[in-house]
Formats: sequence, C-alpha cells, structure tokens
Amino acid sequence: MEVIKEIYDYRQMVYSLVRRDLRGRYKASVLGFLWTFINPLLQLVIYTIVFSVILKTGIDKYYLFLFVALVPWIFFQASISGGSSSIIAQQDLVKKIYFPREVIPISYVTSCFVNMLFSFIIIFIVVAVSGVKINFLGVLCLPLIMFIEYIMAVGFALIASAVTVYFRDLEHILGIVTMAWMYLTPIMYSIEMIPEDLRKVLMLNPMVPIINAYRDVLYYGRTPHLYTLLNGFMLGVISLVAGFVVFGKLKRHFAEEL
Amino acid sequence: MSVISVKDVEKKFKVYYDKGQTFKERLLFRNRNHYEERPVLKGISFQVEKGQAIGIIGENGSGKSTLLKLMTRIMYPDKGSIEIKGRVSSLIELGAGFHPDMSGRENIYTNASIFGLTKKEIDLRLNDIIAFSELEEFIDNPVRTYSSGMYMRLAFSVAINVDSDILLIDEILAVGDVSFQAKCFNKLREIKANGTTIVIVSHSLGQIEQICDRSIWIKDGLIKAEGTPRTVHPEYLDFMGQKRQEILDRQETKKVEEKEEEDEAKKNYEGTDAKNSEEEKKENKAEKKRWGNGKARIIKVTTYNAENIQQNVFRTGETIKVKVDYKVIQVVNDAVFGIGIFRSDGLQCYGTNTFIDKLDKFNLTQDGYVIIQLDSVMLLPGEYVLDIAIECDIGIPVDYYREAHKIEFYSAVEDVGVMRINHKWYINNH
Repeated sequence: MEVIKEIYDYRQMVYSLVRRDLRGRYKASVLGFLWTFINPLLQLVIYTIVFSVILKTGIDKYYLFLFVALVPWIFFQASISGGSSSIIAQQDLVKKIYFPREVIPISYVTSCFVNMLFSFIIIFIVVAVSGVKINFLGVLCLPLIMFIEYIMAVGFALIASAVTVYFRDLEHILGIVTMAWMYLTPIMYSIEMIPEDLRKVLMLNPMVPIINAYRDVLYYGRTPHLYTLLNGFMLGVISLVAGFVVFGKLKRHFAEEL
Repeated sequence: MSVISVKDVEKKFKVYYDKGQTFKERLLFRNRNHYEERPVLKGISFQVEKGQAIGIIGENGSGKSTLLKLMTRIMYPDKGSIEIKGRVSSLIELGAGFHPDMSGRENIYTNASIFGLTKKEIDLRLNDIIAFSELEEFIDNPVRTYSSGMYMRLAFSVAINVDSDILLIDEILAVGDVSFQAKCFNKLREIKANGTTIVIVSHSLGQIEQICDRSIWIKDGLIKAEGTPRTVHPEYLDFMGQKRQEILDRQETKKVEEKEEEDEAKKNYEGTDAKNSEEEKKENKAEKKRWGNGKARIIKVTTYNAENIQQNVFRTGETIKVKVDYKVIQVVNDAVFGIGIFRSDGLQCYGTNTFIDKLDKFNLTQDGYVIIQLDSVMLLPGEYVLDIAIECDIGIPVDYYREAHKIEFYSAVEDVGVMRINHKWYINNH
C-alpha cells in the first residue's frame, strides 16, 4: 500500500516521462505524429489482404473484425516487450536518483496506452464507415475494458522489466512468447472457431476476455457479458498484484545489477 | 533530534570475474559464475542531527559514494540499518531526465518531477528556479541550444530548489563560473540556516570546511576519524601525503630497476652504431642537466621532515631538511654549496648558497654530506624541483645538478600564489 501512495506522490514524474516519450518518439521523422495513425492503418491493410483476399476466412467485415482486436493487442504486446527493457533503458536514472522504480514501467505502459487511445480515433472512423450499429451501453463499457487491459499490461510489464534486469535474455524470449501469445488469442480468428474442449484451456489466457469484450462492443455492437468483464477484471487484478509483488522483491538490487 | 541514523551498515559488492548474463551462459557455465564479494562498507555508524551539515571524505574507493547511495535509497545495506526522517533530495545526478529537444521550462518540470514534486509544487517554485539559473532569456529555447555551463546551471537550480528536509550532495559544486559557484554556496548556507540537514561527499576539503560542522573520514570501509573539519582534515591530509610518498617511492624503485635493465640491455647490444648514437644523445641530454669541472660530484639528494623521516611530499609550512651526499675526486678549495627551488613551470621560488649566507669558506677533502634545513617552507601546493650545486673559488661550477630532486606540496587552505605570507585580518566593523 505504501508503494501505491508513493507512486501517487510521483504522478507528475509519470506524466513527465510519458510526455517526454510521446514527444521524442516521432521527433525526427517527416510525418511525425501521423505515424501513430499510419502504422495501425497499414497493418490493417496487410492483414485484410491476407485474410479476406488470399486466405478467405468467410467472416463478415473481416477488416473490422480484425482491427478492433488488433489495436488493443498491439498496445498489450508493446507494453510487455518494450516494457521489459524499460528499466535498463533508464539505468542512468535508476543508478543515480531515488524514486519508486515502479514509475518507469508504469510510464512506459501509459505512453503505449495513450498511443492506443489515438489509434481508437481511427477505429471509431472505421466503425462509422462500416455501418455497424453501435450499442450505447456497450460504448460506455469501453473505458472499463481499457482500464482492465491497462492494469493487466502494467502487471505484466512490471514483472518483465524487473526480471530482465537480472536476466537479459528475457527481452528476446518475450519477442517469441508474445508472437505465440497473439496466435493463441482470438485476434485473427473468432473464439467459436476453436474446438469446444480446447476453448476452456484458451480461457486461461487473460487476454481472451479482453479481446472478446472489445469485439462485442465494436464489431457485434452489443454489451459484453458481465461474466466476460468480471473474468477480465479478476485476471487484471491478479496480474497487477503479482506484478507489484515480484517487482517489489527484485527492485532492491537494481542499482547493483545495472 | 537525529534525522539520519546509520547503524552498523555493511555493504558488499559482487565482483564477477566472468559474468554470464544470458540464459545460455548461466546454464552452460554454471560453475564458471565465479564472483568475489568485495566488502565496501564494513560497519559504519553515525548520526546526524537536524540542521547539521556533515562532510564525508576519503580516498577514491573508500566507500563514501556507496554510503551516500545507501542514504539515498538507491541501494540497500546488506547488514545494519539506515533511518532517515523527512524528505530526501539528492544532488548526485544533475539534469536527470533532461530531453535536449524540450525547452528549459519543460525540462524543469521533468527534472523536478523526478525528485518527486507534484505539478503544484513545481508551479510554486518555477519562478525561483528560473531566477536562480539566470536563464530567463533562454528558458523557452530547447535545452540542446544551451552551453554546458547553462545546462548545469539550470540543472543545479532545479535540484537546489526542491526544498527537502535532507539534502545529499556528491561532488558537484563545480558548477558554472566562479560567480555562480559563489551563489550556489550562499544558497547552500541559506538552506542550512533554514534547518535543512546536509550531507556532502567531496574531495574538496575547502568546500566542506566552508559549509560543514563535522567531517567523517572513511577509510577502507570504516570510519577512521570523525570531528570538526579543522581536526579531521589535517589528519587526512597527512595520511594522503604519506600515501603519495609511498607511490612516489614505488615509482622511483621501478625507475631504478628499469634503468638497470636498460643498462644491462645496452651492454648486451653494444657495438651497433645506432645504439651508440642514441646513447650519445642520452648522455648529451644528461649533460645539459649537469655540468662542472668534476672535482667533486653530488651522489644523492634526499629530503626529510623535521622528525628526520625521509619524504618528498610536504605540507605547506612544514620544515624540510635537504641532505646532499657528495664524493670528492680532487680536493676542492673554497667550496660553496648552493640550492635553488623551482616550481614545475620553471619559476624560481628561492635560491641561496653558503657564500650568500656568509658562511666561512671551507675545503672539500673527503666524501661527506651537507644538510640545508629550510624552516617552515610556505610554498603553495604543486610540484617543485631542487637544483643543487657545488662551486669553488669564485663561482666556478664543480658540479651543478639541475633538477636534482623533486618535491611536492599539499595544503588544506585554498590560498593562491607562489607562497603563503603569514597574515592577520583586522576588520573594522562599525
């Protein structure tokens, strides 16, 4: 609890780091901030060509089906794989100044999160163009779904960043793990495509309820099941608590290991 | 009330010989993961009262910076405890988190936020920070356009305006030009007067003396001495002087050994023309440093302190005895001994001889030595060389030996010039 209070005291630092990160990200590029939009759009085009022109999936409005799941996934993936090296990237700070170390992965995830919010502008445009009827109550659920995904990403990023300090291979291992994870999450396919008995195993994947919830709101135009939300929330809280506990144990020796 | 209490603190560092940081290495070379535990702090205890300023001194590697890092909570002790009451801020790293493309103003927010200030708190201090940095005109320019001095000034201004209960400083008071440094010092004094506790780690004893009430000397991970700077610093300086002496001695023996080896090698290769000419060159060089008719020869020049202990490093104000051993080849009539002291840049600081000093004339008939006692030599810190000469009759050099001996001076006082002049101040304060 004390850690939480301390992090709250350092909220301005989170804000500063996020701002610095967002500012610095596209600084030298010609299109600058536009890349935030161009990147997911291009990915959308590629996946749509592959899955609805070459490999016909038969899913209606596949581009939308994929897009509303892909953007949240990209956020989650970036939080873990980029978050894993976040402490090492800021080692000068860690070695010289005291502040609650949690601030660094939290800032990293937050900056990815802000990027996702920008991408959602594109999502809303695509949804509007596609003509999907949007359920008003469902849209009200969106902030909650995003919040759940955020705390889950923070939890995983805390663990990944702390362990990577001691074990640098994790950064590379995570590249493969997140790719496998993506294919084990119903992003390019729907959960109904999976055989019944395997589906239960897949439900252990904490990203499943989150992706399903996003898709319920933005593709099917319905309110997500309460069960789906509760399931996601539970898993989010568990990963957040686990993240703080693991990070708290490992952070004491950061300065010596770096 | 003590705000910092350090109790029996120990800290070891693992020094890996061959650190396997990747999975493969850890798995394959499990047994090769050798490391040595190097104790840095071996049980340190002290307390600091509220509003006190203490200085921590010690050689490189003595553990003083580690101690400061433990107090900042960047690292944690292996044994013992450190209790700190109040908000701590550290001037260990200046300009943390500065982004070159952001303006000075934006960087103030970033930097201050890393010290744990909220937006409101920064807003309150913003004007003070900008005013202190004297960068009003440039504050909205990107930091990359700043000179390094401006950069440091901005960074220091943020750090010093954090308003903490405890301020930890590591060797950073060399900020900006002289006038800005003076300003920083005044600010530190002001902060101290307002009740902030200050801990400074520094090599500059002068800075510590200006601010601190107490000095702690850390040697090899233990507290060697503790007390007012006036009592601790001379002790420390004496120790460092001795240490320097030991290093010089070691270098000297090394040189002698090398020379012997060289001579040996030369003997082996004698006959080749190239070597010979090189040798001649060397001899010529040596000759320039030394000339005279050779009737007598200076063999050795050594220096001693007042207690007759041989040393080459002296504290400003110490008494030095210079002993000159000589060998007589032919009888020298009406001999005169002379000494010259030169600063390493060639400035002659002093010179005299037995003739100037009106000593009775004497003849050199057999080998012997002379001692020149130089009472309380006030030369300021630096390297000096001694020229020693034997002359005869009316100034004919018998053996003039340039740069016959090297000595060094150190001092705790930071006065400037060639030599110290004893002085007193009378301040008429109406």
